Amino acid sequence: MAAPIRILTAVPICDGHDSAINTINLEFIRHGIEVVYLGYHRPVGDIVRAAIQEDVRAIGISSYNGGHIEFFAGVVDLLRKKGADDIKVFGGGGGTITQDDAKIMRRKGVDEIFFAGTSLEEMVKFVHQRYGKQRTKRARARSSDQELAHELTEVEEAAGRRKKNREARNEKRKSKARVIGFTGPGGAGKTTLIDELVLRFLNQDRKSRVAILSHDPSVIGEGALLGDRATMINSQNDRVFMRSMATRGQAGGLSPATHDCLALLAHSGFDYVIIETVGTGQEAMPFRSNGIVDQTVLVMNPDYGSRLQLQKIVMLDLADIVVVNKSDLQRAKTAHTEIEQRLEQNRRSQRLLDTVAKRHRDAGVDRLFDLISGTTKPAQERRKK
Amino acid sequence: MSKLGQVVESVEKHNQFVLDQVKRARSDEQFGRDLVGRWNDIKAKIPTTRTPTGVPLPRLALPEIDEPGEIARYLFGEGLPGEFPYLNGAYREMYLEPIREVESFDKNGESKKSSAKKIPPAEEPTRLFSGLMLAEDTNERFHFLTAHQRTHRLSTAFDGPTLYGIDSDADGVFGKIGEGGVAIDTVEDMVRLYDGFDLGSANFSASMTISGPAPIIMAMYIAAAKRRFGPGVVSKLRGTIQADIFKEVQAQNETIFPIEPSLRFLTDMVEFTTREMPRWYPISISGYHIGEAGSTPVQQAAYTLSNGFAYAEMFAARGIPVDQFGPRLSFFLDCGLDVEYVALARVSRRIWAIGMRDVFGAGAKAQLYKLHTQTSGRSLIAAEFKNNLTRTAAELMLAYMNATNSCHSNSADEPFTTPSEEWIRLAAHGQAILLEESGIFKHTMNMLSGSPGMKSVERAVEAAILEEFREIERLGGVLAAVEERYQRSQIQNAAHRYEQQIYDGTRPIIALNKYRNGSDDIPEVKLVRTPRKKQQLQVDRLTRFKEKNAEKSKRALDKLAAVAESGKNCFPALLDAVEVCSLGQITGRLQEVVGRFRPMV
Repeated sequence: MAAPIRILTAVPICDGHDSAINTINLEFIRHGIEVVYLGYHRPVGDIVRAAIQEDVRAIGISSYNGGHIEFFAGVVDLLRKKGADDIKVFGGGGGTITQDDAKIMRRKGVDEIFFAGTSLEEMVKFVHQRYGKQRTKRARARSSDQELAHELTEVEEAAGRRKKNREARNEKRKSKARVIGFTGPGGAGKTTLIDELVLRFLNQDRKSRVAILSHDPSVIGEGALLGDRATMINSQNDRVFMRSMATRGQAGGLSPATHDCLALLAHSGFDYVIIETVGTGQEAMPFRSNGIVDQTVLVMNPDYGSRLQLQKIVMLDLADIVVVNKSDLQRAKTAHTEIEQRLEQNRRSQRLLDTVAKRHRDAGVDRLFDLISGTTKPAQERRKK
Repeated sequence: MSKLGQVVESVEKHNQFVLDQVKRARSDEQFGRDLVGRWNDIKAKIPTTRTPTGVPLPRLALPEIDEPGEIARYLFGEGLPGEFPYLNGAYREMYLEPIREVESFDKNGESKKSSAKKIPPAEEPTRLFSGLMLAEDTNERFHFLTAHQRTHRLSTAFDGPTLYGIDSDADGVFGKIGEGGVAIDTVEDMVRLYDGFDLGSANFSASMTISGPAPIIMAMYIAAAKRRFGPGVVSKLRGTIQADIFKEVQAQNETIFPIEPSLRFLTDMVEFTTREMPRWYPISISGYHIGEAGSTPVQQAAYTLSNGFAYAEMFAARGIPVDQFGPRLSFFLDCGLDVEYVALARVSRRIWAIGMRDVFGAGAKAQLYKLHTQTSGRSLIAAEFKNNLTRTAAELMLAYMNATNSCHSNSADEPFTTPSEEWIRLAAHGQAILLEESGIFKHTMNMLSGSPGMKSVERAVEAAILEEFREIERLGGVLAAVEERYQRSQIQNAAHRYEQQIYDGTRPIIALNKYRNGSDDIPEVKLVRTPRKKQQLQVDRLTRFKEKNAEKSKRALDKLAAVAESGKNCFPALLDAVEVCSLGQITGRLQEVVGRFRPMV
């Protein structure tokens, strides 16, 4: 089966009109397309960086606040400049883009502009027809990030075809990054927490780089909304390489290609690699026998239900660090106590932390950063067994 | 239970109170007689007017009832226009022609012109939202729009960079300068924007549609007024700034700080303006953008009201007296073509009054749901766009049936361009035709109130709004629900359903999915676009401003940051900062202290 088409959608800077793009995204994923959604109020640089890292086939831009001629041209030009003009650009803006504007925009390299009244079916059909064919011969990458992005695409597509991957290449690569795995139920705030940690990584020095491998669920042969980027504000940075993956039918919170992609990322010159699972259930143990992940963080929501539920969460036995996020909620104190008791049964030096990731400069997130960046020595010994 | 839960109870209690009064009026003879007496007094005092064709009409129409129970139901359940619970109107006379034209009350046919001075001439409820290119261009448009008006009520639209609190010289925004609204970077732009208008006059007011950076823009407005008219003008300033953070997070996405600091800066501003600027409306609690983002009418009304109650709770918690801030709250609703709009604003007015009185202990002035309405932009389409005149006219009719206090009618060309002068004129004339030319609204209050259909809609809408309140209450109140994205996802679902209904034809849109002509071409119209030269001029001006104030701005920003860190009211420091700092400089510095808004999807 051919791999799903991956596209990126976004709304330009100074524009918060996301109603149309939300509807279009849903329609795309319902028709087998994987959509990396970057969100609204996004500058050209963020869009192009994300498109290259995600190695999408095309970028769909929904613009309602004017200035679209300059903005679309800005995206096309920057793609060209970065040697990524195999990533195509299309878009629309209801009635705000005129036929004359569209003519100019097409001349400047935009594939297609949709006008008010275009049906969703037409847009879906366009994407399938225009971007559905495999990219066979690819131009040589102009940057290491672009090269990495291309390789990740190969790995992901090979996993879809159940082909063996060339793992040997990894050995030649640079020394291994510190790999931290984040997991936990949906809505616990994993993405926000990671984005806040990224801010601290970036502020730590001037050049270290971080990679993020993020997952969202999908069924085999269907589309997916890969939306983690949309809520991230600190990770839109040249020092951060982020890749969003759909699980493509695999249970347990990761994708069939995760292991190989992670192996590749771990040897690509990053200081830290963060891997985020989809929101997981109680039985999930995504990083077992992985061999690459150095440290695992389980992010919990204080509202996990009764104390009995805690006994069933497998990751509570396995995680190195357990975080109770949203610790400003009323139930957080109880949650902390109950989880603490649960961890004591394990008789291992697991760490328990409270955070409020949504809060700027949260002290709990600072402590978590210290733990995983090695400022405070984590419990290394137990991983040896 | 949060205040919202108490509001639900207070409305239920009031409804029960009305039923009890009805019962009592029927069983307690003395009470019943008193009510009938009062009813007859009210009727006797209603002046009569005579239409141009000579038909005599009462200036206030009342239901033809004489049974005490029904009288009780009307007086307690609906109230006369201008009386609690204000179902029929916040004020007694609304759009009626001034009394000087009422010459017919005298039985002998002599005109009673002496009464002319009692009620001042009504002002036009027309407010046309505009903003384009640079400050001087918008200023010119303002002068054009108000050339023939008794009062100068300006409604200002800002461009994208301003709405997001960033400067015109920021990376990648050049093409957006002056697009969709006016570009404002500094206090100097603000001076140019309202040049030639007497900001301290009772006949002038400025409305500014901006929320994320509202406290900074408000400070710029005050600073600009002081530069032109001296410090004495501050207490005389009239106008509205939108400053509605909740609806930004729920629907419009123009938020620049995280929710809690955004609310804190808002409260700082409200504390200052309600004390120092008693005629200013520092917040316009807006359903319009919720409606435009795709909500159902009931969601729009429910979220707007619940946001309003949450603000009231917050301001009260800061220690601002309810009778100080209550009268300075105003509301803004969308009016589309769905049947709920027959009574949406009427019901909102009633729920607000009951909640403010019974939960917040507000006096009469703080109970009023003062409403600005705009016809629905979303209901307009590009295909055969002249149909939009009819859509807007029908929406205007609904808006006036709901006794809105002011109104904006959309231009028919809006689906494809910044409104052009030709279509703006037609939109404004639509209002004048309904209010001034036609006799529908100018002779008699309650002309179209209280039909059986309207009453059915009122009951259904009220029940649905209260149910929404209960759901928000279950989620822990407005702020908790917002953080859980409750309102956002409800709105998105509704928007999706709306689109589906258009595509499957269950929602007919004439000339789009029904009676379609075939040709879908967007008509050729003259587009209002900001020339590059002007965009460059804005950047150059900003550069000069920054160079000129380089030293002073550093000190002002340090001071502002220190106040922000301290948790004290930031507004006075903002007033100082805007003298020497640009919008983007201030936003950037405050974001260092409180963080940036994390988008919700």
